[in-house]
Parts: sequence; C-alpha cells; structure tokens
Amino acid sequence: MSRFVLRRLLAATILFLIVLTLAFAVVALAPGDPMAPTDPRIPPEQAERLRALYGLDQPLPVQYLRWLGAVVLHWDWGQSYRTGQPVAELLFDALPPTLLLTGAALLVQYLLGIGLGLIAASRPNSRLDLSVRVASLIVYALPTFWVGLMAVLVLAVGLGLAPAGGMTSAAAFELGPIAAALDVLAHLWLPALVLGLSMAGDIARYTRSSLIEFQATEAGRAARARGLSETRILLVHGLAHAAPRLLQLASVSAPLLLSGAVVAEVVFAWPGLGTATLVAIQSRDIPVVLAATAYGAVLVIAASLAADLLLTRLDPRISLE
Amino acid sequence: MIPVAAMRLLAAAGLAAILGWGCASDTPRDITRLTVGMRFDYPTPNELIVQPTLGHKAITSQLLLPLMNEEPDFREGPPTWRPALAETWEFSDDRLVLTVRLRPDAVWSDGQPLTASDVRFTWQAQTDPEVAWILSYAKGAITDVEVVDERTMRFHFSHASPTQLADVAPEAVLPRHAWMQRPFAEWRDDPGWFFEHLVASGPFLLESRTPGRELVLGRNPAYFGADLPRLERVVLRTAADGAALTTQLLAGELDVVTGIGAADAQRIEGRSDLRLHAYSNRQYTFVAWNTGRPWFQDAATRRALALAVDRQAIVDTVWRGYARVGKSPILSDVWAHDPQLKPWPHDPEAARTALTAAGWSDLDGDGVIERNGEPFRFELATFAGAAARWDALQMIQADLRAVGIDAQPRRFDPNALLPRLLGNDFDAAVSGFAIDTSLDFRPVFHSESIGGGHNYAAYANPEVDALIESVATRLDPVTGLEDLQRLQRILREDQPMLVLWEPLTLAAFNEELESVAPNALSPLANLEEWAWR
Repeated sequence: MSRFVLRRLLAATILFLIVLTLAFAVVALAPGDPMAPTDPRIPPEQAERLRALYGLDQPLPVQYLRWLGAVVLHWDWGQSYRTGQPVAELLFDALPPTLLLTGAALLVQYLLGIGLGLIAASRPNSRLDLSVRVASLIVYALPTFWVGLMAVLVLAVGLGLAPAGGMTSAAAFELGPIAAALDVLAHLWLPALVLGLSMAGDIARYTRSSLIEFQATEAGRAARARGLSETRILLVHGLAHAAPRLLQLASVSAPLLLSGAVVAEVVFAWPGLGTATLVAIQSRDIPVVLAATAYGAVLVIAASLAADLLLTRLDPRISLE
Repeated sequence: MIPVAAMRLLAAAGLAAILGWGCASDTPRDITRLTVGMRFDYPTPNELIVQPTLGHKAITSQLLLPLMNEEPDFREGPPTWRPALAETWEFSDDRLVLTVRLRPDAVWSDGQPLTASDVRFTWQAQTDPEVAWILSYAKGAITDVEVVDERTMRFHFSHASPTQLADVAPEAVLPRHAWMQRPFAEWRDDPGWFFEHLVASGPFLLESRTPGRELVLGRNPAYFGADLPRLERVVLRTAADGAALTTQLLAGELDVVTGIGAADAQRIEGRSDLRLHAYSNRQYTFVAWNTGRPWFQDAATRRALALAVDRQAIVDTVWRGYARVGKSPILSDVWAHDPQLKPWPHDPEAARTALTAAGWSDLDGDGVIERNGEPFRFELATFAGAAARWDALQMIQADLRAVGIDAQPRRFDPNALLPRLLGNDFDAAVSGFAIDTSLDFRPVFHSESIGGGHNYAAYANPEVDALIESVATRLDPVTGLEDLQRLQRILREDQPMLVLWEPLTLAAFNEELESVAPNALSPLANLEEWAWR
C-alpha cells in the first residue's frame, strides 16, 4: 500500500513539475511585455524599474529557475503585478470558497445523479426511464453559464428563493456562527445546484447502466432468488456494484467541475479561485495566472489520487502493486 | 437510532431555514448602512504599491485624505482645488515655493496629530526608488518638502509649471507614525501589513475586511467634518462580473452599483425603484492609423476613412446611446474643447470621392481599391477582452468594406499589443486613453513620443509640436486656449487618429438614496453626504 502511494505521489510530483514548466513556458514565450505602461504619462524608465523589481530584466532561464525554486522550496508564487499581494496569500483566500462550492456541487451531482439513475433503472425502458435519460442528456448539454443565468433570473431575482450573488449577505459580519453558516448555505445552494446539475446527468446515465447490468449478473439474480426486494437489490447490492465506476467518474469530473466553477463563480459573484483567475487574466497578472493554473493542477491530481486510493478500498479485485 | 420521520422533519426544517434565509430580503431597511457593489477589490490602503485605478483611489480617499481634492468642474475651466487636509496654500512670487498650512483640527483616528512631518514622509515615500511608485514622475519637479512647523510646510520646485498644484495635492497623506516602522524597501513585500497599521484621517475608517470580497467602512469619530458622514457604515462588495453586480442590485442585495455596462443598463431603465446615472469618465476610444504604413501616409486618405466610418451607429448600437461620438482628444465636456469643431459626418459617397482623389481605385475589380499597386488591405488590431471595441471593429470593417477597403480585425493579448503600439509596429489599432485636466498632449501627439512613447500613429507635425510646447509652458492654462483649439483643428484635418467615441460611465442606485453623485474623479464622490431619505 505505502509503496503504491509513494509511487503515485512521485508520479504526481513529476506531473506537477511538468505542468509548472509548461505553464511558465507558454506565458514566457508569448510575445509582449506585462510592464508596458498603459498610461501615456508614465515614463519608460518607470517601466524599467518595475521590470527590475519583478525580475523581468533577467534572462528567461534565470527567471524560470528562480521562480521554480521559490515555488518548490517555499511555495512562494511571487507577487501579483496588479495588487502587489503575495500570490500564495491571494489564492489561499480564494481556495476555501472554491472547495466549498465544488464540494457541494459534487454532493449535488452524486445525490441527484444516483437518485435519477436508480429511478431509471427501477423501470428499465419505461416512459419514466426514457424521461430520465432524455432529461439527463438535456441537462448535460446545457452550458453552465446559461443555466446559471436563468437560475439567477428566475429563482433568485424572480422568485426570491436565493440570494442573487456573493457568498454572504452584506450584514454577515454581524452574525453569530450559526446564522453565519445558514447565510453561507443560503448563498451556496443555488450555485452548487447549477454546477452539480451539469454532471448529474452523466452520473445518472452511469448509475442506470451499472444497475441494469448488475440485475443481469449472477449476483443480481441470486439476490432476487433470495427474495430480496427490488429496492434493496438496487440500493444496496446494485450501488455497491456501481460504486467503483462512479468513483472513477469523480476523478474524471474533477477538471470539469473546476472549469465549471470558474463560470459559476462569475455568474454568482462567488469569490473563489475562478473569480481570482478571471480577474488575473483580464488584468495581465501573470504570476496569479501561473499559480492558479498550478492550483488547478494540484486539485485535479489530488482528486485523481484520492479516487485511486478509495477505489482499492471499494473493489478488492484491484491490486495496489 | 433516530426515527425516519424525525430525520425527514429535521431535513425539512434545515431546508426551510436555508431557503428562508435566502428570502430574508423583506426585512426593514437599515438606514444607517449602505451596500455598494464594485468591480475591483482593495488589496491595500497604500496607493503607492498598487496599480493606480480610479476605484482604488475612491476608497483610499475615504480613509486617507489628500491635501486638496480636485473639483469636478473641468467643464468650466482648468482644475480648481477644494481644501481637504490643507487649510490654505500660497505660491511665492516666482512660483518656486508653495507654502501649505494644515487644518488645525486634522488628527489621525488614533488621536495622534496630523502634521507637516506626515506630508514630508509621504513625499519621501512617493519618490523613494525602493517603493517604486508608478506615478512618481508626477513629483519630479518637487525638490524638497520643508517642514516649517507642525502645521506648515513648503514645497520647493525646480521650475514653475501649470500643474504644480496637481503635483502636490491629490495623493493621500500617509501616517508617518504608523507606517515609518516599516522600511521603504519592505513596503512591496506585504501590502496587507498596511491594513494592520491603518489609521484614518478621512470620514471613514476600516471596520472589517474580507479579502477579495468585502470592505466595511465605519464612521470615523475623529474626522473633522461636522456631523459627517451621514451613514454609519458603508459595505463595499466586490465581484468580477458587472452583470452579476447588476443582478444583485435588481434583487435588492446592493444599493449602489458603479461601472454598469451599457448592455445591462436596459435591465435597470424600466425599474422605478432604481435610478441610472450616466457621467463622463474623461476617456475616449480611437483608431490610430499608423502613418508609417503606406495606406495611411497622407491626410487626405485618413480624412476619407473618417467619412467612411459611421460612429453614430456604433454609439447607438454598441453603446446603446451611453456614449458620445468623438470629435477631439480634448473631450466634449472639457473646458478647452473647441465647440466649433464638428465631427466628420458619415458620408460613404464623399469618402469614395476623397479616396479616388487621393489616388485609390479598384483597377483589378476585386472589390478592394489600390494605389501604386498596393491594395488597401490592412490589419485592424485591438485588445482582447474589450467586447465593445471588438463589436465596433466589426462595424468599422463593414463600413470600410463599403468603400472598397479591406480591414481585417484581429484581437491581441494586451501584453502583446501594447509593445507593438509603443513601437509603432502595427497597421491600425483601436485603443483608448483617459485624459487628465493638464491637457498635456506631448506623450500622444508630439513627434518626440514616436518609438517608445504613446504616439502610436507615428504622427509628426512641427506646428503641433510647437503648440504642445507652447501650452506646456503657460502657467495659466486659460491663456493657452487658443493654442489648444488650433491644435484640435489641425488634428481634425490631419486625422492621425479617428476619435470614435467618448464612453459614459453608468452607475445605478436605489431611488430612495440622496446626494449620490459619482463623477469622473470618483465613483464614491461625496460619500460622506450619501444618505437614505
């Protein structure tokens, strides 16, 4: 077990270094100068001074080694060109909201997806099954930003069922801990639902096919022969059969969830990593763009690693060696 | 074991609580508080270590006052200044020394007196190479700030100029006693440090801050203004997307939103409980024709291009009317704008005639005109991310196509395009400038600003150079009005750049608010007087 984990960690580290290097290369090789003054009154000497301050006057290999060394040894991503803040601090502030949103969306995605999959599998090829399959496909095909905008307009602005944006109310700093938590949940449910919906259709289709497949297996037939109820067969034995596949799907959906989070965060004014990345891109803030790319890579690699480890627990047929 | 029914009840109660919380907007309004939505965050109160923006300045000026504030009266004449921390100011006869006296009742929020030493410390920080303030050039003419006594200081200048007050006045005076403990060399290492050591001199102080999300400003009891501010608390909330802020305004979660896009304005126009306020932001957008390229070398051709482009259609379509057709780089609501100046009309027929007269014709019948065998085909560049400009580019392309010119729109990353503009390495480009009231056009139209400066069009006209130099030497800008108007007329005829539009900034706020009047100088102008009716 530990050898497997070490091997995977080593592979993850190498992958991370490759992502870092590629991200740096893409940004460094792109034409242009992030310190070129946009204000006509700023003299060129001032731009030179800022270039020196951020180390941009050094040859590219030197810039790369300095940057990589600072990242690897001190987790120091430099300073934002726009705000002057240490990038690690800036993203540290933005990461928890993104983890909360994507975690909640993952929950929505699985609860909804598995629920719909169960309903569809309980009456295979019925009208209900067909409706669930068609609905899953439609939801999967709809772009997150459109669903988000419609949800805000109808559910938040129109019906007032949720706040239209942000992570907290303006008065949140005055609230006690329970009220503050409720306030965050009230802001969270709609973006989490929108983000979770986009992948729920996929989960529903996988769940359905796994459960139908299980019913045809010897184990499924044996369960039925033992007189177990259909609900118990699907809920307990069928889902146990589907679990490894669904778990694999979680690692595959992590990048989609993260990219979807960028859109959801912008639409719902959710102050996370996606928002920080968008602002950085708009304002040519290269250190933040590089770090946000790397954070995204870390999250995806970690999700994949966690899914692999959990998979070995769920499915004893999978060997760690 | 919890019974299933109890679990269901618990879940239903939890859901009701969350939804109920989300619907809690019917609670009575707290009239001591206001919530403002903005598209920028506020990483530090130290304006010397961030990229200067109007939004950052607007918030800083609520916390840290300058010596004087510019009045938004640029329509009537050159800038005038309203006292803030300064009580009086006076120039010496040779205008090389400016003596400023501070208000006697100005104190920091921790009770420490605000003195001339704070002003000197601010100047030292502004000009220190390790602080590397991006606008330090503005202090270039100040040779020393001499502390005469606790309330009096003298600014010594190397030479007199029309911008001397602007050089001294508008930046926040920094708290020496609180910030001097951090060496200048370390100021850029940790912008957040300045929040922890912030003492205020303005109408508000910082009550709380959630990075990237929210700032809460509270009334500063040590502020010298009588009975101000009228609001006890102002909550400033940040979002990256203007449309999301507009939606929150429509849902009643925000009371004021600044910087609304023209596309979102129509969502507000029909609401009786909200007011839309459009104001000039002293910016203009233009097409720079690179006069070093064969297509744009002669003024006759450039004038024909001006006739070919339907700028009113762009203003009506892309800006939905929330912009003005550009006439001059001295904007239409700036005192030195020449009111006799008429924009070139949209007249494709006249454009065709002018192009023919300039030697352009479609000899090979491919729909694109040529001169000396060179087809009129060029790249029309702009910055990626500017949606309005990109939409306008499509319209310009169609207008030019109608007179036989093939303009090929292309978007560039700002990092890539800006150096090309500065190096005059492009064909034509749509870009924009903000102007200040110094009306110094040396960086944009003087021939010495070709190749490295912002004279993107590589435009050289000795008469224009002379007029720019003449205006710059006049201590009273009003005496340069004739030169400025002559300059505008020459630029209209020479057309190194076609001024497309002057955008308006849109702010929207709750109808029940009073005294809210964002302006070109600050989206939070007059914040201390904002209040609920």
